[in-house]
Formats: sequence, structure tokens, C-alpha cells
Amino acid sequence: MIRSLFAALFAAVVVTAAAQAEPLQLAQAAAPTPVSIGVLRLSSSGPIFIADARGYFREEGLAPELKFFTAAQQVPVAVTSGDADFGVTGLTAGFFNLAGRGALRIIASQSREEPGFQLVAYMVTNQAYAGGLTSLRDLPGRRIGMTTVGSTFHYSLGLLARKYSFDLSRVTMVPLQQLPNMAAAFKGGQVDAILAPVTLARQLEAESAGRIIGWVGDETPWQLGALFTSPRMIEQRRPVVERFVRAYLRGAADYNRAFNQRDAAGREVRGDNYADMIAILARVLQQPAERVAEGLPFVDAQGRLNVQDIYDQVTFWQANGQAGRDVDARAIVDLSFVQGHFNVPR
Amino acid sequence: MELIVEGVSHRYGDVTALDGIDIAARAGEILALIGPSGCGKSTLLGIMGGILAPSAGRVMLAGEARAGTLNPLTYVFQDFALLPWRTVEGNVALALEHHRLDPGERAARIDDVLARTGLGDFRAAFPKQLSGGMRQRVGIARALAVKPSILLMDEPLSALDAQTRELLMEDFLALWLRERITAVWVTHNLAEALRVADRVAVLSRRPGRLRDVVAIGVPQSERGHDAAQRDLAALHDRLWALIKAEAQVAEREVADHGAAG
Amino acid sequence: MAPQAEGHAPARPLPFRGGGYLPTPRHGAALVAFVAIIAIWELAVRQRWVTPLFLPAPSSVLAALREVAEAGTLWRHVSESLLRIAAGWTVGTLAGLAVGFSMGLFSLARAVGLPIVSALFPIPKIALLPLLILWLGIGEVSKIATIALGVFFPTVIAVYSGIDGVPRSLIRMGQSFNLPWRDIVRKIVLPGALPGILAGFRITASIALILLVSAEMIGAEYGIGAFILAAGNLMLTDQLLAGVVCLSALGLAIGAILSRLERWLLRWR
Repeated sequence: MIRSLFAALFAAVVVTAAAQAEPLQLAQAAAPTPVSIGVLRLSSSGPIFIADARGYFREEGLAPELKFFTAAQQVPVAVTSGDADFGVTGLTAGFFNLAGRGALRIIASQSREEPGFQLVAYMVTNQAYAGGLTSLRDLPGRRIGMTTVGSTFHYSLGLLARKYSFDLSRVTMVPLQQLPNMAAAFKGGQVDAILAPVTLARQLEAESAGRIIGWVGDETPWQLGALFTSPRMIEQRRPVVERFVRAYLRGAADYNRAFNQRDAAGREVRGDNYADMIAILARVLQQPAERVAEGLPFVDAQGRLNVQDIYDQVTFWQANGQAGRDVDARAIVDLSFVQGHFNVPR
Repeated sequence: MELIVEGVSHRYGDVTALDGIDIAARAGEILALIGPSGCGKSTLLGIMGGILAPSAGRVMLAGEARAGTLNPLTYVFQDFALLPWRTVEGNVALALEHHRLDPGERAARIDDVLARTGLGDFRAAFPKQLSGGMRQRVGIARALAVKPSILLMDEPLSALDAQTRELLMEDFLALWLRERITAVWVTHNLAEALRVADRVAVLSRRPGRLRDVVAIGVPQSERGHDAAQRDLAALHDRLWALIKAEAQVAEREVADHGAAG
Repeated sequence: MAPQAEGHAPARPLPFRGGGYLPTPRHGAALVAFVAIIAIWELAVRQRWVTPLFLPAPSSVLAALREVAEAGTLWRHVSESLLRIAAGWTVGTLAGLAVGFSMGLFSLARAVGLPIVSALFPIPKIALLPLLILWLGIGEVSKIATIALGVFFPTVIAVYSGIDGVPRSLIRMGQSFNLPWRDIVRKIVLPGALPGILAGFRITASIALILLVSAEMIGAEYGIGAFILAAGNLMLTDQLLAGVVCLSALGLAIGAILSRLERWLLRWR
């Protein structure tokens, strides 16, 4: 209540300030504008952590407050309810259902599934492997464990089905809600395969519980995550959003330079700022640097979105009944904050 | 049948409740045990019925049980101890069900005791539907159904109001006079003891010792007569003198406890 | 003409100070309140006092429910959940009765059982899901086991405290009539503990419903819990509430059945 009062107050200040350019400069110099960002403690949110640690937000006159959440679903909810001004997280059917009701706008990219970036593994149990499940083409007729229907895992599998032209309904998706449940079902042979985030996949591999037969990034690149805010923010505090995106993009550029360079053979080339950046992530993620280095997703240096892919996602969820018919992809994405987006449909 | 108590003592932890009690309930008499609260009279009755083991001493049985006795030593309880989920008939039947009786005899016994205790119209009622007096009639009917050789009455009228007590006492005596079952009747009410007992045993309080045993010469059937009243009044005074001092101490002690609590 | 006592002030009626504090049946009050809440809720959404995104109107919840019903999946959701609840509750209750009775009747069983029950009762069953999956797989067994586990401990406690509450005087009465041990248990202890056991059933029936959602986290395709989970994950708030309405209806129905059972079994009260 008090928070929204303050938010309204600030909105009023900013609107008046925007009307008179001079006082805006004064306001910036006087006190930084507080902005809150909903994030998960994942390396895919790296650009935010870097921009925060390197002071890029402060240089834009913003005082960022990071709000950490434990599940991807909570971030868009927090932005919808006004508990966070911005959010970064993976795109799910639930996200589109919220966005489709006018609650969210995508303004820049976050991570992307990209060949050579091993973030989510297709992992099969030893029995299933011995029983002939040795390639992704063999998935039809099998039981595949994942977190939930409508998750990013679900979409990856949908893309895979399209790639190998099998009917998605021929694989049995077993929703297990949580990673520990998935690991347990996998170890117990209750499912033939799971989509496992890299840390879980490496752990299961080390325990010889199963084999990795492919990576989502290699198989089906797609626009996994995005930076988003509420339409209210864009309407009432557009200058703040613009400043925020500028700082975010500097973080994304640093991140990309440090972690995402590859040579002609596809081998990792560490950027000159690697040590600093990995130290920042290790501190925020509260994990050793080596562990963080295991799973660093690709983030576009300029925050550009694969727009067509987002449209495709909406179409996919609608076709599978996970997103409402009334969700309009066009209304969800605001392309005006970042230049040079890819594959913009006409 | 006779019940003979020989040198019975009983201790609860450090407290000596009963100390060297020697007394006998003779065949066909009602022996009243009277004393202030805390004198161990209920403990003594528990020992006499074999549901409490004495710390020292023993209880002996002499004589033959009555014909048809299923449970020679049978209690009637102060709180009635009726099963609330059973009807009047069911409560009486409880005492018979585990005995090998042919159904006809079981039904006959139940009909008989219900008729004798005036419960014929209430056989399908649940205890909660009955008054206190009627509930104790069920307790008595249940006791009579097993044709006891010795009745152990544990303050059977203490939970009832004065008028009900009077009525029930009359009815009980009428029943008793026909069969003259040996009975031990525990009470703290002197008037009650003087109405029902052949002999009155007075217990002292803590440790419970036998103070005196007084025989009442007048038969129960004649105690209402004017001629008997004077004798009974004298007996009353004598017994009251025995009890009074201790009853006062007992009352004060309870009051002190109340103040401390 | 007020009656007057001689030489005194005129008599006046004694003010009444009693009343209240006595629950008297107010038939229909619950229904009226229920309807009023629904109406206010609908109005609040229609008037845009609250955004439908945060709280869908009762009419859209009903529409979502109708949609699922017309798709023919509602009955499947309900029936699969009912089956799990029935099986889980029965297994948990039977095991709880057995353990509770032995703890109520035998000192050794109580000495051993009480600390174990106290230690295991508060464990959130949802934390055990990965273990249950490892032990029992992701089929019906682990779902039923989740519910059974949740039902088991409160049943144990209800049964053994029910037995504790049987008046000692009734047991002594049984002994004084030389009733055999099993007759004392069957005719005195069991019926005496029944009110407590039935009160426990009320609690465990609700627990079974609550745990349904947890149980159906384990790879369930159909079931009200699975339906609610999926709706939550997809942010379909109207469907989510439709699932919740189904759960509440189920709870009311089970409660009504238990009330009947109580009235019949405890008609002596």
C-alpha cells in the first residue's frame, strides 16, 4: 500500500520532471531514482548483476534494488503486482498468459539457446539407452520428465518435435514440478529421459545415472529469456525505462565480451574482463567461480530479441492449449527501447 | 457367603491408607463401612472385591455361592459406571454376554431384574435420557442380573439428591429383604448407614483403622416404627460422637487445600 | 397504575441481563452470507475495483469450470483424485488405527511409538516427495502413499488419545464383572474412543484433500490437484480457482458424509 503510494508519488515526480527537462537533471543529481528488479539467482541474469556491480545503473541516476525470487513463475507475477518494476526470466506459457492480459511488456533480450552453449541437456537413463534410446529421434513413445507443462523445457521439446518431425503427443510428458523430483524419478528409472539443467545433468553424469544425448542449444536455438516491465512503467515513467535499458545493455555487453566469444572451431575465448565478471557472478550467485563457469548462457551483447521466435512461442502455446486465444504477441513486445532486433515480422 | 478381611493394610507411596483392618461381612447381613472422606473406605471395598491388591493382609471367602451365581462379588458404583452407548437393556446384558447362557435364560434374567427395579418401561432408553436415580437402578439391576453372592455397594446413593436417595433406599431394602444377599455398603452418611445396615463399622481417617463396630438390634423392616426411633437416636448419637471430631478435621483439611490451591 | 410498596419508591421492572453466549441455530444464515460474499466479489470485479487478473470474477470461474466440464475432462480429474483420496485415506486410517490402538492399549507400544510419532508427525510430506519417488516410483503408489502418510499420524494421535479418554471407571466396572480382555476392548474401550476417533476422521479427511495437490505433483496428468498445479503454472487464474472450487465442494461433501456417520454412530450422545 505504502509502496504503491510512493510509486505513484515518484511517477508524478517523473511525469512533471519529464515535462520540464531542466528539473530532471536536477533531480538526477540530487537523488537517484529507486527501481526494483525481480531476478533469479541464475547466471542468465548476469547482465543485471554486472550492471549493478559496475555502477551502470547509478551512472544513469538509478538506485537499483534486486529482489531475488526462487521460481521463474514468481518474477512476472511480481512485475504484474507492482512489487518489482522490471524482471528478467525465461519465457513460459504462464508468462504469456500474464502478458496477454496487458500486464507485461518485453523490452530486451535475456539469454538465448545457442549452438555451443550447453545449458539444458537431454539426458536418458542407462536402461533406456540400453533399450535403444540413443538419439533424440528415438524419443517418441518414451516418458520424459520435466518440471511443468508450459515450461521452457516443454517448449524446447516442442521445437525438437518439429525439427525431427514427430508428433509431440507421442512423447509422454511427466510433470514433476521440482528438479529434486525429476532427479529422483530419473534415478529410479521412472522416466526414460529428462530435460536437465547443466548442473543437474553433470551431477547425474558423474553418478553414472545416465547419459547426455544432446543439448537444447545445439538442437533448437531459441529466445529463452527476456527483460520485461509493466505497460504502466512505459506509459508513466518512460525516461526511467530508457535509462534502465541503457545500463542493462552495458551489462549485457560486458557479459557477452567476457563469456560468449567463440573461435572458429567453437572453442570458448575468454574476454579480457573475464576474471572481473566471473567474480561478480560468483559473489551474487553465492557459488564458486568454477561452478558458475560450467553454465554460462549466451546473452546478446545489444539486448536484441529474436522477435519472430517470440511470436512462434505464442503460436505454439496457443496451438497446444496452454495459452489463451486472446494473447496477442504484437502487444506483448515493445521494440522501441533496443535497436536492431532480429527477425521482426512485418 | 461370608467375606473375611484379615489384617489388611494398604499404602499409596508414603501414605498409609489402611492399617491392620480385621472385619467380616457375615452371611445375609448388610455391613456398613462409614467414615469421613479420606479414611480409605473405598480402598477397603476395592480390596474386598479383589480389584485392588492390599499391601499386607488377605481377604478370605467362606461358604457356598448362591445357586446361579455368575459373578459372586459384584459392585454397585457411586458414578453408576453405565456405558453411555448402550441402552438400559444393553447395560444389563453386558454383565451376562460373556457367560454361557442359553438365550432364553439370558432374556429371562434381564426381564426379571428390569421388572424388579422398575425399569420395564425404560429398557430401550439410553443412560443420558434417565435421571440419576433411574441410572442407579440400572446399576443395581445389572448387579442383580448376575445373582451375586456378595454385593459391594460403593457409596451407591452419594451422587443422588436427598429425595431420590430416600426412594431408592426404600426400594433397595425391599429387594434385599427378599433375598438377603450379603452386602458391604460404603457410605459417609450416618443416617443412611442406620437405615440399611445390620452392623456399622466406623473407620478413622489416615491411617484408616477400625474404630468400632456397632450392631443395630432393630430389623430393617421395623426401623420406621416409633418404638425403634429412640434406640436409633441413641445409636446415632454414639456413632456421631465417634465420627464428629475426625469429620471436622477432614472438612478443615479440604478447606485448607482449597485455599492453597 | 404501578403497584407501589407503602412508603417506598415506585416499583420498576427488573432489567434483563441474561441472554447471548448460547449458540442457537440460525438456519440459512450461512447460505445468505455465502451468496452475499459471491455477489460482492462479482460486483468488485465488474466495477473494476480489483483487476480480473488478480481475482477473476465468480462468473469467469464458473465459465472456466463449465469449459472443463464440457471438454469432458472434469469428471476424469475428479474421479482420479477421488480414487487417490479414498485409497490414501483408507490405507493411512487403517494403519493409524492399528498403531493407535496398540499405543492406547499397551504401555510398551506407547513408550516406543510416542516419541517416533512425535518426531515424524511434523515433517512436511512435500519434503519427502523425492524420497517417495525413489522408493515407490511415480505411479499411483507414491501418490497414495503421500496421502496415507499425512493421514496416518493424526489418526494415531486421535485413536490413542481417544482411548486415553475412556473413563477408567468403566474399565474397572468391566473387570469387576469378570469381562475377558477382548470384551473390555471391544465393548468398552472401542466405543468409548469412537467420538475421538471420528473427530480425528474429520481432520484427516481435510488433510487428505490438502495433500492431494502435493501428491499430484508427482507426475499426475489428471486429478484436481494436477489441474490446479497446471493452472497455477500457466497463470490461468480462473481455472486455478475453478479447481479450488472443486476441492472445496469435495471437502463439503466429505464433511457432510462424516456428519451423517457421526450422527448415526454416536446417536447415544
